[in-house]
Amino acid sequence: MTKKATFGKTLVAAGTLMAAITAAHADTLKIGIAGPVTGPVAQYGDMQKIGAMMAIDKINEAGGVNGMTLEGVIYDDACDPKQAVAVANRIVNDDIRHVIGHLCSSSTEPASDIYEEEGVMMITAASTSPSITEKGYELIFRTIGLDSLQGTLAADYIKDKIKPQRLAVIHDKQQYGEGLATTVKEILGDAGIESVMFEGVTPGDKDFSALIAKLKRNNIDFVYYGGYHPELGLILRQSREKGFDAAFMGPEGVVNSDLAAIAGDAMEGVLATAPKSFDQSPENAALVEAFKERNEDPSGPFVFPAYSAIQVMTEAMDATGKTDPFELAEHLRANRFDTTIGEIGFDAKGDLTEPTFEIYTLHADGSKTPVSK
Amino acid sequence: MQRALFPALFAAGVTFLLTCLVIGVRLEQEGPTLTVVGADASTWGWIAFAVVVVFLFQLFQGPISRLKQRIPSADATGLLPGEQMRNRLKPWLFSLIIVGLFVWPFMVSRGAVDLATLTLIYVMLGLGLNIVVGFAGLLDLGYVAFYAVGAYTYALLSEYFGLSFWACLPIAGLLAATFGCILGFPVLRLRGDYLAIVTLGFGEIIRILLNNWTSVTGGPNGIGGIDKPSLFGLEFSRRASEGSQTFHEFFGIDYDSSHKVIFLYLVAVLLVLLTIYVINRVQRMPIGRAWEALREDDIACRSLGLNPTVIKLSAFTMGASFAGFAGCFFAARQGFISPESFTFIESAIILAIVVLGGMGSQFGVILAAIAMTILPELAREFQEYRMLMFGGVMVLMMLWRPQGLLPMKRPHLELKTS
Amino acid sequence: MTETSLYVLQQLINGLTIGSTYALIAIGYTMVYGIIGMINFAHGEVYMIGTYTAFITIIGLLTMGVGSLPIILLLALMTAVIISSTYGYAIERVAYRPLRGGPRLIPLITAIGMSIFLQNYIRLAQGSRDLAMPALISGGIEFGDPAVFEVSISWMQLIIWVVTFISMTALALFISRSRLGRACRACAQDRGMTNLLGIDTNRIIALTFIIGAALAAVAGLLLGLYYGTINPYIGFMAGLKAFTAAVLGGIGSIPGAMLGGLILGVTEALTAAFFPSEYKDVVAFSLLVLILLFRPTGLLGKPEVEKV
Repeated sequence: MTKKATFGKTLVAAGTLMAAITAAHADTLKIGIAGPVTGPVAQYGDMQKIGAMMAIDKINEAGGVNGMTLEGVIYDDACDPKQAVAVANRIVNDDIRHVIGHLCSSSTEPASDIYEEEGVMMITAASTSPSITEKGYELIFRTIGLDSLQGTLAADYIKDKIKPQRLAVIHDKQQYGEGLATTVKEILGDAGIESVMFEGVTPGDKDFSALIAKLKRNNIDFVYYGGYHPELGLILRQSREKGFDAAFMGPEGVVNSDLAAIAGDAMEGVLATAPKSFDQSPENAALVEAFKERNEDPSGPFVFPAYSAIQVMTEAMDATGKTDPFELAEHLRANRFDTTIGEIGFDAKGDLTEPTFEIYTLHADGSKTPVSK
Repeated sequence: MQRALFPALFAAGVTFLLTCLVIGVRLEQEGPTLTVVGADASTWGWIAFAVVVVFLFQLFQGPISRLKQRIPSADATGLLPGEQMRNRLKPWLFSLIIVGLFVWPFMVSRGAVDLATLTLIYVMLGLGLNIVVGFAGLLDLGYVAFYAVGAYTYALLSEYFGLSFWACLPIAGLLAATFGCILGFPVLRLRGDYLAIVTLGFGEIIRILLNNWTSVTGGPNGIGGIDKPSLFGLEFSRRASEGSQTFHEFFGIDYDSSHKVIFLYLVAVLLVLLTIYVINRVQRMPIGRAWEALREDDIACRSLGLNPTVIKLSAFTMGASFAGFAGCFFAARQGFISPESFTFIESAIILAIVVLGGMGSQFGVILAAIAMTILPELAREFQEYRMLMFGGVMVLMMLWRPQGLLPMKRPHLELKTS
Repeated sequence: MTETSLYVLQQLINGLTIGSTYALIAIGYTMVYGIIGMINFAHGEVYMIGTYTAFITIIGLLTMGVGSLPIILLLALMTAVIISSTYGYAIERVAYRPLRGGPRLIPLITAIGMSIFLQNYIRLAQGSRDLAMPALISGGIEFGDPAVFEVSISWMQLIIWVVTFISMTALALFISRSRLGRACRACAQDRGMTNLLGIDTNRIIALTFIIGAALAAVAGLLLGLYYGTINPYIGFMAGLKAFTAAVLGGIGSIPGAMLGGLILGVTEALTAAFFPSEYKDVVAFSLLVLILLFRPTGLLGKPEVEKV
């Protein structure tokens, strides 16, 4: 009996001590920022990082959330699924309950399983694969549109405005690119526009001369490319050299000032679906200045979605006065938020309720203009 | 000193050439135009510093090495207990380690347990490849192919047929072994480095096929939602799926997510112990002796009536089956797999584990697997310098101990001449 | 000519161009293997560094206002060759020489470590983005009936063939005629004996690394001009393909590397021409496996003498 009592007392004492320790730390709230710091796609990880960090700093300047200052903790998953699981476990371990990330869909997918299970809220600003939110997670959200939305938008535009005679759909055999390409091909196929060619290229490849000769032989007049800018840039550049002059269209992954550098003049007139360029919208002018002051480039596609991810998270904390992920999730689904990427809301799956994509014409100097519908 | 002047100048010149253009000047892309920018003064300062250090080091290399010799090297052998004592302590030590392996996860954080699980996967892979490279002396650069076969076996069987982890584990091992046998049969008459490149080619072929066969493997999308192993039908999730019970409900305890992580870890420990046990046994069997004999002398083996093809094939198959087990477990731990987890660099890292461990030595391989997985995690603090350090340390470790951390020792008797 | 034959011709031209550059890089693998019997996995990174230095020199000269194309190219070639050779030399000196005489697998691991190191070293120094420069040499010749199929050869493709041919001939002459070349051959046959004859084998080995690196730099400059883009990860794939080419032709044999490179390039182009191009690597590797099954030492490789 006495033994039990002592044990109980010790427990109470330990509990008090723990509470005291937690209280001492309650004035900072750690937010995990998970994405590639190393590896081939590190530059995209950087976009997410600067966006999230800027938002954290701005909110701290304005007095923080519920009396707490935010602290961004960066985790590197190198876009490697194996490391993503390790990172997710580390984040749980470090007692972080709010995460911005991950970047690559193939890392986000295994990681989100763990977050959901452990009651950690995750908002990705970059992963566009539809399968992530399909499992009906409670705590997983995203502030970027889905591949399928982008593909639908592109396919509708192709069938209504372009009406190509001989269409080719090319992709880079990666989750993002192939997913988009398949969506476009299927929608157009249903509308009676069959793809003459549907094939993949190897990411990281430099030589597309064989592919271009094939496109030329098949008299292709319109190419939809699902993938990223390095490969499309080279395809455009080599097409120009070989005298192949079909029109090209790509997703947001190709919209990058580097595309202009690689493709040169061949880029003029390329069509692309892309999120609204948030750094061009007048409401964000002050923020763009702030990025420039820090010598950071706000034009990347994930910078403002990452900023907004922090925004909605903290707004929900403000409104509920709590940091519990489940309550925040409920609040996120029930309300609409005014963010740097416009007014947004989330559906039951955690996706944005409205697509944020538009169709643009790209120009050789790296700029883009919206296509009038 | 004068004789050292020329090599020192030469070394300094080489250092300068290595750094001046690549570090001292930077290409900057601004929109469509590419420009070069000289690095800032501090970078040039570092370059100059490096050049001077190399110069001075080369110049005074003689005196430095003489100085090094004069420092008496610490002799640690005296601290170790004697041979007999060691042999008597061995079983105790082993049981202590094994008990430690089972008790340890309950005392540390789940991040550490998860990392240990990952390490154990590499231990398994290292031990499996060790059979092929260390024992049989066949250089295999495509080992990851069998790992992928194992992982995809479980993922596909659980997705299409709903089979459980425990049912898939032997199937994965068998299937990987079959693959090893089929692939191994035609190529095993190739020698040394030709075998290396062909296995490398197989590794790439399997990865590309998995990536292109979208209708079955999901292609680059991979396969998600793979079930975790259960304990005699008890699941480790918050809510049980239909028709089964969860672990915490069965025992009437509160749900704790770390149970799952620890359980995975314990499964990994069991698999590793099993691997070690099996390999230890096989190594002492005639076939194990034959592997090593074949590695040492091909022709002598043949003249003694051993069939080299069968022996090589058995090593290849057995190595592959362990990769299959590891792959199956990897799929369970990840819950999601895609072809990008099975690239050449993975094969290279497993090979590095075997070589670094000291080919053929099981304990060495285990140590090396721990080093190779913990190192990048420890280096996390260095952020973007992480992989640079990983590469550098790999080179330095090999230079420091070319024979491996713990080279294989044969049991031998020494005649004491007193 | 029919449409199909013109199309095949175009694909052959494309294949030969890729093949030539594979061959240039493959020389580095094959020479090193011939002499010390190790696979220098870091060779692809030397090619990558060659491309970077060529880019830096070209852009540097253009910003300085040098307008003459021949001068720019010549200087870029010289710098790329010098810097790459230094890297080739330094890699050998630091990572391989101390391990000479030990088991053959050990340098393979340092080579992989070196490759990871160099890749990340360039990534940290130059960033991981794809960098691109405008085409310096554009245009080409076209023939064939535009109504059927027009075959085009760009000047850059012609330059690649010519430069590859010149480099290969020069190398073949050097190896077969010069004193140092003879020493190289002696070293490949019997290192111990060569040493006894008073030839500093360490220097010869260093020389092979330098020659291999120099040719990789030539390939780097040519491909840099042809494709116009670089990133720190190009070395890995190029190295893997070149290594495959070297083995295909028979590793250790210089004409074999040339032949292997061309066969690999043409196979890839023809596969991409008639099958989905995502299968071209599968076909390339399968071809390698098939050839090795029937000729276990590659096309032009000498059968190994079994020593007891």
